[in-house]
Amino acid sequence: MTELLNVDGLTGGYQRNKPVIREMNFSVKPYEMVGLIGLNGAGKSTTIKHILGLIEPIEGEIRLNGKTIFDDMHMFRQNMAYIPETPLLYEEMTLWEHLEITAMAYGLEQAEFHVRAEHLLKEFRMTKMKNWFPSHFSKGMRQKVMIMSAFLIEPPLYIADEPFVGLDPIGIKSYLDRMIQLRDDGCGILMSTHILATAEKYCDRFLFLHNGTIVLEGTLDEMRAQANMPGADLDEIYVEVTKEESDE
Amino acid sequence: MNDIVSLFDRRRSDFWQMAIRYLRLIGNSGFLFTIYLLFIFGSYYYGQFLQWLPETFPAVLFMTAVITWMMTRGRVRTFFQQADLIYLLPLESRLKPYFRKGIMYSWLMETFWTVFLFMLLTPFFFDRIAEGGAVWLGSVIALSLLKLWNLVCSFEEQRILDKWAYRKHQWMRLAVNLLIVYLLFSGQEWWIMLILGGALTVFYFTYYKKIEHVFTLKWERLVAIENATVMTFYRIANSFTDVPRLNNTVKRRRLIDPLFNFITYRQRNVYKYMFGRSFFRANDYFGIYLRLMLLGVIFIFGVDVSWGVWFVAGLFFYMTALQLETLARHYDTKQMPDLFPLSDEIKQQGLRYWLVLLLGVQAAVFSVMTLFTGELYDFASVLVICLTLMFYTVKVRPKKSRT
Repeated sequence: MTELLNVDGLTGGYQRNKPVIREMNFSVKPYEMVGLIGLNGAGKSTTIKHILGLIEPIEGEIRLNGKTIFDDMHMFRQNMAYIPETPLLYEEMTLWEHLEITAMAYGLEQAEFHVRAEHLLKEFRMTKMKNWFPSHFSKGMRQKVMIMSAFLIEPPLYIADEPFVGLDPIGIKSYLDRMIQLRDDGCGILMSTHILATAEKYCDRFLFLHNGTIVLEGTLDEMRAQANMPGADLDEIYVEVTKEESDE
Repeated sequence: MNDIVSLFDRRRSDFWQMAIRYLRLIGNSGFLFTIYLLFIFGSYYYGQFLQWLPETFPAVLFMTAVITWMMTRGRVRTFFQQADLIYLLPLESRLKPYFRKGIMYSWLMETFWTVFLFMLLTPFFFDRIAEGGAVWLGSVIALSLLKLWNLVCSFEEQRILDKWAYRKHQWMRLAVNLLIVYLLFSGQEWWIMLILGGALTVFYFTYYKKIEHVFTLKWERLVAIENATVMTFYRIANSFTDVPRLNNTVKRRRLIDPLFNFITYRQRNVYKYMFGRSFFRANDYFGIYLRLMLLGVIFIFGVDVSWGVWFVAGLFFYMTALQLETLARHYDTKQMPDLFPLSDEIKQQGLRYWLVLLLGVQAAVFSVMTLFTGELYDFASVLVICLTLMFYTVKVRPKKSRT
């Protein structure tokens, strides 16, 4: 199957002489959800920023549909949605206006926008708050705005950075159901998370990130084999792998 | 104990370090120039104003009203922070030295502002109420002591949780201030003032000081008072320079909403949509715009000479343009717009749309205003000056800043 996102030999970070991530290779294909797992400071957010094209690689390249951001910026941006770790909202704009901005920016038809937006509001139980300003939102509601904005544009690739933080159980369920639906429709999803029990249940493949490199990757079964821990769950493998690394 | 006192000192110096940074920015901003202008014009018109003011003007009542307000307002600064609710709360019984420092500090600051206000009113005071250095000095000392009484009382007052009872105490203080200030300015004998001062002191010890035994500190109120004080400072600083911490003050301004309907739903209108809403709702861009426009109009009316009118119109127009330009950086800390599949040119277009619209309105207002006091050529000159500056802001400056 052709790859949607391809990260090839990526070395990167904020300073040239101090790379945070080194020699990273992975891909995300259509019809799959990939879990990016790592401790705080392992380099997850930096990896994501590189994929988004917010910072440039020191070495290596990132391709979306075979093209880098320098080849075709419009296509690159148009084809991915990002759910950030901390909600980034405009205090002076209402929930509805956030959705409208997103739809306008990504060139969605107005009629289509209304249908999708109303549907999302209902699904995430936010219809009542449509005309509220973010200052009246809880942390979870703010996160829901980010999630709804991403779902609104329906791109082929989703990049989610710790998307569950602050969500209530119903919010998490709506979010995950949607993600599964999208994956089954052919989208690719890269999701960084700490909540391993959930990741184990939903992700097809995993990337274990430690000290800026991928230390283990594959499906749960493949990782069990590699770590030589048959029957172990994700938590156990994770603890084991990072322990080995820190002992070195 | 020493730690608590040094905590106050550290917080005070932190505040002043921050304040001095802003004061320096204010000093460097073009806005200070307006203050100079205002000062020069003001001192010229002050004398004229006093001559014009009829003899029957109730001078004592006026002074009493202004100074009573000054006496009643103001709180003890505690430099409390939200987290103190957790970390300082257990020390409540040992915080007395901390608050003593706060009261002394606030007394100093409030005395400064009282003297400042009194100095502004001094020409009026000498002209209408009483003359002589001794009277002036005596009044200032009396007012400073009254201020101290107000501060210590208001500090005990904040312990009362019930809103209505709290209000009642404030009104009571206002009434006492009104009486004292009125007696002071109506020229009572010094020994009467001395007796009143003694009475207030007794009142403090027999009534206010007792509140402490009945009610605890109202921490949340103290934090709110402190925040309000800092916000006032930020808001003043914000008229001169950009204060990042004020960036999340948002006003809905529903009346403006219909205006947004002119921006149709289209991909290339995203930034028109965003800049419009940000301008009217966030950061007080709109407030600054209106204030500068109003000041400009006042100056256009107030200045007699033609070239002076052109100058102030151009000056205020350019200051408005500089303030509006800061909109360009409004989204710089948000990541999401960076990800939009749109070129920078579309963002610039959106910005230009509002710059031209808002500056165009101001150019029209300024030039039409000249018609009331000036000639047709004033109208033409102001219009040309404003439009030239607008062209410069919209077309020339963005290119400069990008290279």
